[in-house]
Amino acid sequence: MSQIINTKRGRREQSGPYGKLGHALNELDDRMGVAKGGRTFLDKIFPDHWSFMLGEIALYSFVVLLATGIFLTLYYVPSQDLTTYTGSYLPLYGQKVTEAFASTVNLSFAVRAGLLMRQMHHWSCDIFIGAIVVHMGRVFFTGAFRKPRETNWVIGTTLLILAIVNGFLGYSLPDDLVSGTGIRIAYSIILSIPVVGSYVAFFLFGGNFPGTSILPRFFILHVLIIPLIILSLVGAHMVLLVRQKHTQFPGKGKTENNVVGTPMYPVFMAKTTGFMFVVAGATALLGAFAQINPIWQFGPYTASRISYAVQPDWYMGFLDGALRIFPAWSFHSFGYTIPLEVTIPAVIFPGILFNLVMAWPTIERKFTKDNEMHNLLDRPSNRPKRTSAGVAVAVLCSMLFIASSTDVIANFFHLSLNTVLWSMRILCIVMPVLAYPVTYKICREMQGFAGAGKRKTANIVTRTAEGEYVATPAPAYVDDLVHEHELEAVPVPTYVVDVDDEVSSGEGGVRRVPR
Amino acid sequence: MKTRYRASFVAVVTLVVAGPVLGLAASAFASTNTYTRTPYQTGRANAGTPNSTNVVKNSSGTVVSYGNSAITYTAPSPSLATLGQSLFLENCASCHGTAANGVPANGTSGAFPNLVGLGPATIDFWIESGRMPAADPRAVQANRRVPRLSHSQALAIAAWVNSLSPSYPDIPSPNLASANVSDGAALFALNCAACHTIEGDGDALAAGTFAPSLRNIPAYQVVEAIRTGPGNMPRFTGNLSDFQVADIVKYVTTEIQHPQNPGGFGLGGLGPVAEGFVGLLLGVGLLALVGFWVGERQ
Ligand code: HEC
Ligand code: HEC
Ligand code: HEM
Repeated sequence: MSQIINTKRGRREQSGPYGKLGHALNELDDRMGVAKGGRTFLDKIFPDHWSFMLGEIALYSFVVLLATGIFLTLYYVPSQDLTTYTGSYLPLYGQKVTEAFASTVNLSFAVRAGLLMRQMHHWSCDIFIGAIVVHMGRVFFTGAFRKPRETNWVIGTTLLILAIVNGFLGYSLPDDLVSGTGIRIAYSIILSIPVVGSYVAFFLFGGNFPGTSILPRFFILHVLIIPLIILSLVGAHMVLLVRQKHTQFPGKGKTENNVVGTPMYPVFMAKTTGFMFVVAGATALLGAFAQINPIWQFGPYTASRISYAVQPDWYMGFLDGALRIFPAWSFHSFGYTIPLEVTIPAVIFPGILFNLVMAWPTIERKFTKDNEMHNLLDRPSNRPKRTSAGVAVAVLCSMLFIASSTDVIANFFHLSLNTVLWSMRILCIVMPVLAYPVTYKICREMQGFAGAGKRKTANIVTRTAEGEYVATPAPAYVDDLVHEHELEAVPVPTYVVDVDDEVSSGEGGVRRVPR
Repeated sequence: MKTRYRASFVAVVTLVVAGPVLGLAASAFASTNTYTRTPYQTGRANAGTPNSTNVVKNSSGTVVSYGNSAITYTAPSPSLATLGQSLFLENCASCHGTAANGVPANGTSGAFPNLVGLGPATIDFWIESGRMPAADPRAVQANRRVPRLSHSQALAIAAWVNSLSPSYPDIPSPNLASANVSDGAALFALNCAACHTIEGDGDALAAGTFAPSLRNIPAYQVVEAIRTGPGNMPRFTGNLSDFQVADIVKYVTTEIQHPQNPGGFGLGGLGPVAEGFVGLLLGVGLLALVGFWVGERQ
């Protein structure tokens, strides 16, 4: 017989073991059956190796982008109509500028926290794409893209391309001298596409460059269409991830058929939520203390003005570099001109590159004839050919990135611009070709290294009769020895044999569940 | 036939007579100092030569100074010429020749410019920017350095070289009080940014030549550079009035040399390279480290 006591404790006891929240959830479950899915989600196991956090940097920077971007849309005016700037920044006072430019300067100087938001938005864009690239590297070099995860690899590559495109569009919106030059280059690149180029360019720009409709169009693409596509693709990426479960590095207790890690609730949720705030906080710090894109110093864009040393944001750098160093070849015949010096580096090269990236899982399977499911990751050194190919492409892109600052290098080191140009042409060919064998060699070397990527063995220190100390490493574990043929799938290490495929939980909230 | 001849003769005579009259009228108009602030105004008036009514002459009729409320050009005192000649023989003649005509003593190799008729502002600019006496006569472009000679020594040499064949522009001194930074910014973007970059950091041009940074140049030297066009820089005369030059100089000496950096540390001018490094190393790098700390490491 329970007596109702009107105290806090009494009320709490009365509402059952899960309190009001539990009650509400129960009601929800009665109607929609959320318990089953919710339980599965909360129990989902995350193998939280640190390199899996890289993708999360990208995810959370996207959240920051959305939040800050929504703020910016409140003040930005997507119009190329001319107006007279009469704001507080004197060096622009009275100049004829576009509404877009004026509103971005006003957003920076006249809106409370406006500059902070603009800078956070731009920094998080740089971080977003940087994190995507690093995350992609992790997936590539550990072989996480193999069956069954090829779809997610393709979605990821699409996300990278969309992020780059949206970054370029956003960079163009303020309509300053530097970004206007970028739009002009984009226009010329579109023009250089054989046959359809001029039609496509006129269609996109609503006429000849610069026109007055490109910024409103960029705006809609930048704030609505592409973010929506990105958002849905990110959703698909995550759904596939949960459905297929994470990969994991081989290790004690880990097999192809289980997942070892911490459950979503409470451990991983705490970690990842904390991480989101760290990402947002780091972006806010950069936004507060490091200036980015001071458009008021660049002034408004006018087709008659140009500044030297104009460069795009870093993620466009490799394309700019390719454009800079490509030799001046062009085709003139039959009354047509094809500017190959633009078409090849700016249209054909990125086309080939991104198609190659998309097709990589298929290409690799063609070579390895490996049709197995893979849930355990590779160590990069155990896959020397793949690793070397990846490093070669990364080196090529880095060289092209460096080539996007030929003028800055020439000026800084007091070199001739021509010398720098030719050196970059040569380096862009030589370095990737060199990178492949060098990486290959290093991988093979690391495989032979007792202890590289393996469990550590003890050093045995002995004292000789003369009193000298000699340290000899104990021999490597048998199952850590090299697998000679890289195309052979690595068998599960024997020190994992005692694994029972049952659910078990260990220290620190780590659980092991079957897939 | 004959009549056509006569017609063209009349036309030529009219032009010859009317030209100077119109020119004088135009310069008189320009000298009224009413500057209409249209940024793209062109015209030969006020282009660094004494064509205004503000010309001050001494008793012997030589021009002492000229200009307007934006820039006053002053001739170095001719009395300094004797001192100037000895300074020139000491410091410059080994390369430019004892007659300043670019013909050095026998046996000196190299091509040296003839300095006769260059005008005091040119001589003064090259000395006071430390370019002359040249450190390396074979260099494609002489670098700015700490000046070897003082201001008054530079004036003395300018006075002597100018006495060989008087020329203009004289040494400018800008008055920036009523100059307009906003017009200056627009004119800078239009005329200078293509070489010096919009932030004034300068950049490499062709083999061995570069447009220098403008972050540390005194105002009068900016005027000298605009009006005399050192090295590979074009010489801006008729297309920029003295008032427009003053606007540019004000923009350069205020906003370019002391940029307003709201929004944190300016990352050294045209940013994307620097911004990329900060974004990748500080942003992605630090966050990856935090990820390393949060995540599992085996
Ligand atoms: C070591 C040889 C050397 C000495 C000494 C030297 N010059 Fe020069 N000067 C040069 C060279 C070489 C150039 C061309 C440099 C360039 O174009 O960058 C030059 C260029 C100049 C010019 C620019 C000419 C033009 O057409 O624009 C001026 C003015 C000048 N010198 C003045 C002087 C004066 C005044 C002195 C003495 C204080 C002096 N120089 C001493 C080698 C010398
Ligand atoms: C065609 C490219 C070009 C343009 C346009 C140009 N400059 Fe220059 N400028 C140069 C070069 C090259 C030099 C270096 C000359 C030398 O030292 O031989 C220079 C030198 C200067 C200097 C002297 C810097 C020093 O280190 O002493 C100043 C000041 C300057 N320019 C200002 C301007 C301004 C203001 C404008 C616009 C009205 C302008 N320049 C337009 C190329 C240019
Ligand atoms: C995919 C993610 C996105 C990327 C990579 C990205 C990138 C950028 C970049 C680099 C700029 C230039 C800002 C500057 O000049 O400093 C920009 C501007 C802008 N972005 Fe985004 N953005 C993204 C998503 C969004 C979203 C979702 C919105 C709105 C809902 C948005 C709204 C804006 C607006 C209004 C501007 C112009 C304001 C300004 O010029 O500062 N962005 N964006």
